[in-house]
Amino acid sequence: MHNDKTMIIIQLEGRKIRLPEGLTVIEALWDTGHDVKRGVGCLSGLCGACTVAFLEKGGKKVKFGLGCQKVVEEGLNVIMLPYFPSRVARYLLDVMEKPLEHLPEIYPELYTCNDCKACNICPEWINVAGVMKAAKDADYETATEHIMDCIMCGLCASRCPKGIAPQHVALFIQRALAKERLFPPNLQKRLEELESFQFDADLGRLAAMVDDELEAHCRQAEGG
Amino acid sequence: MYPDDMFDAIEVVTASREKRKQEKVANLSAEAAERLLRKFHPDYKESAFRNLRAGVNRGARTTHEIADLLEAFSDLDYSKIDLSPEYDTDVLVLGGGGAGVTAALFAESMGARVVLATKLRLGNSNTIMALGGMQASVDEHDSPVRHFCDTMTAGKFVGRRDLVKALVEDGPRVVKWLLDTGVDFDRDEAGNLLTKKAGGMSVPRLISIGDHTGLNIMKVLKDEIGKRDSIEVSEFTPAVELTTNQFGECNGAILYDLGRKRHFTVRAKAVILATGGSGRLHMQGFPTSNNFGATGDALVIAYRAGARLEGVDSFQYHPTGVMFPEHMVGVLVTEAIRSIGGHLVNARGERFVNELETRDVCAAAIIRECESGNGVTTRSGKVGIWLDTPLVEETSGNGFLRKRFPSLYRHLVRVKIDISKQPLLVFPTLHYQNGGILIDEKGETTVKNLFVAGEAAGGIHGRNRAMGNALLDIFVFGRRAGLAASTKMFNDPGNVTLNHVHRYYDRLKSLRISSVAKSPTLFPEFIVNKL
Ligand SMILES: Cc1cc2nc3c(=O)[nH]c(=O)nc-3n(C[C@H](O)[C@H](O)[C@H](O)COP(=O)(O)OP(=O)(O)OC[C@H]3O[C@@H](n4cnc5c(N)ncnc54)[C@H](O)[C@@H]3O)c2cc1C
Ligand code: FES
Repeated sequence: MHNDKTMIIIQLEGRKIRLPEGLTVIEALWDTGHDVKRGVGCLSGLCGACTVAFLEKGGKKVKFGLGCQKVVEEGLNVIMLPYFPSRVARYLLDVMEKPLEHLPEIYPELYTCNDCKACNICPEWINVAGVMKAAKDADYETATEHIMDCIMCGLCASRCPKGIAPQHVALFIQRALAKERLFPPNLQKRLEELESFQFDADLGRLAAMVDDELEAHCRQAEGG
Repeated sequence: MYPDDMFDAIEVVTASREKRKQEKVANLSAEAAERLLRKFHPDYKESAFRNLRAGVNRGARTTHEIADLLEAFSDLDYSKIDLSPEYDTDVLVLGGGGAGVTAALFAESMGARVVLATKLRLGNSNTIMALGGMQASVDEHDSPVRHFCDTMTAGKFVGRRDLVKALVEDGPRVVKWLLDTGVDFDRDEAGNLLTKKAGGMSVPRLISIGDHTGLNIMKVLKDEIGKRDSIEVSEFTPAVELTTNQFGECNGAILYDLGRKRHFTVRAKAVILATGGSGRLHMQGFPTSNNFGATGDALVIAYRAGARLEGVDSFQYHPTGVMFPEHMVGVLVTEAIRSIGGHLVNARGERFVNELETRDVCAAAIIRECESGNGVTTRSGKVGIWLDTPLVEETSGNGFLRKRFPSLYRHLVRVKIDISKQPLLVFPTLHYQNGGILIDEKGETTVKNLFVAGEAAGGIHGRNRAMGNALLDIFVFGRRAGLAASTKMFNDPGNVTLNHVHRYYDRLKSLRISSVAKSPTLFPEFIVNKL
């Protein structure tokens, strides 16, 4: 296999190096002896542990991405980003009646956002600036709708000149909104049934059946 | 981008699409399914298994990969480890996925001081990767009784009934807890929890948060942990051994500080192992959908302490893991694509199994196709079959895949593969450890003061875990373990020793077993097999 593999030259963590093509940035680091553990999690583009900054061949602008998904190409200049510190507010959701009303105290910096859009570098293609604008305008439904894919990599926070951490602001809104929403009627009903021990007898009976009897019973239930 | 030499193979899928649309592939009879499994499912490949020679489960069957770790001396130099505790706490939780975080929150809520130590960053886990959803019997036509039946059936009736009963009874209650903590699930117009039906369910029971269920639960729980004063989180410090007192009861663990490269000891009145599964042991050479830290460490360290294992010869292989592009090999392609009509297609453009058969049957069928020369071979010699994604785009409308499966779509677009136009090459990927360390309804193992929750635990799912029951399991048994562990907070943990390890090693020596392994594994050895 070795011979028909195309080799490429990239700049990895500031060092020029020859590699076979097709590796991700993480694999390239491992392959060249870097003991990367801090920046690795799921290896599936879902956990946000592996942010990288890179300049493509002939490119003018530094771009950002995920090291487990970015495949290295000829002339790429890439580094792993260190963990970026961002402020996480402390609050206790339990004790707040209407948590959303507390957003201005919890994350006051949100209101300094002037929509410069520097945060729009999301590897998950989230329009972060749009989410922050919706949050500022108290359109919380719109804000949360767009952040369900957020993997908390924190790249957006690292770019914000105002020191806002959009991922944490959005998470507060997501949690607060969930708390304020109507309690699901179907769940409410099931919980009441459980409280009145409605299923105890049946479950007890099933659990006590001999194997064959249980199998036959379940087969039948499935058909029904 | 697909290389030129794969275009012909893709063309076969495109050309056969119209014809396939008309076809129906019948479900296999129970006997035919059983025959297929016996012949092609990895769990039945006898040469991949052996019986353990030492320990509580002597004589029990497991994979060579696990046996190699259980029957080995750790490469640790025990004489260099300082056993005087650097921390003393009530409850020590090992593992920062869904089960660990839940256990920590509940133990803390009972007034216990908690240390939560994890291998990577808090939350880097299989939990965060769970896409599809979680089972809970909240639908009007459903009941815990039905859930019990479906779970037992999926597990081929070997799951422990008391554990399954606990799982289904607690289901709706842990959903309430999640809602109260600020997790929201998809709803219908009336505000009810929206339920979906998936393989092995007699009624709709899967609740979800878009296509990122685990991620959105984990984000919230992780955030909540940070707000509790009595929980101390220690990241990048995997557990490498448990400790016991003079009575053989568990009373702490030895952790390895990855940054400082040194070991230290935490003493506790109860320990909860929540270190997840073992996909990264790459059983039988299979690719895996699991995160980097899923190396089955709990099995190894609990076994040395004398804990009984159950069902560690049964694994779930998810039928559709990515096989191309190379850097995504093993990454999960959700069931949902098959549920809404995606065909599995071999190199000859034929369907060969009903796509809605259970995971084990679909996986076995794909392996059969690949072994009998009906697979598609990639440049690097990997073999897979096609998942016809463009068909789904065609039937569900333009832009559907991008909207419904955003992250999969994105990851592939980055490497210039558009799944709305080109099919995806797939092959079974090692997905879930069906067995584990045996627990009782409180989450306690056969070793006193040692609890286990989550994928590391065994006994619940029998020989096959139903989709959505893993997420439920981690909250139900995480909670139970946390609560039960906190009742130990007034106990005297006793002296910290490694007597159990030496006793176990004596047994290995008497059997003339002398292999030394890096066990627990902690991190998979990374081999760039593309060179
Ligand atoms: C891609 C994917 C999709 C899935 N989809 C679904 C789904 O839709 N529905 C469903 O029900 N289930 C699903 N599952 C299964 C489910 O997500 C897992 O079984 C479940 O989340 C396991 O939770 P856990 O807390 O036990 O383990 P994990 O979430 O894996 O957490 C284990 C934690 O322990 C840490 N750890 C490991 N070793 C050590 C050590 N030695 N010391 C300290 N810490 C350690 C790990 O780093 C990790 O943080 C999916 C799994 C995968 C991989
Ligand atoms: S390792 Fe999880 S996103 Fe890259």
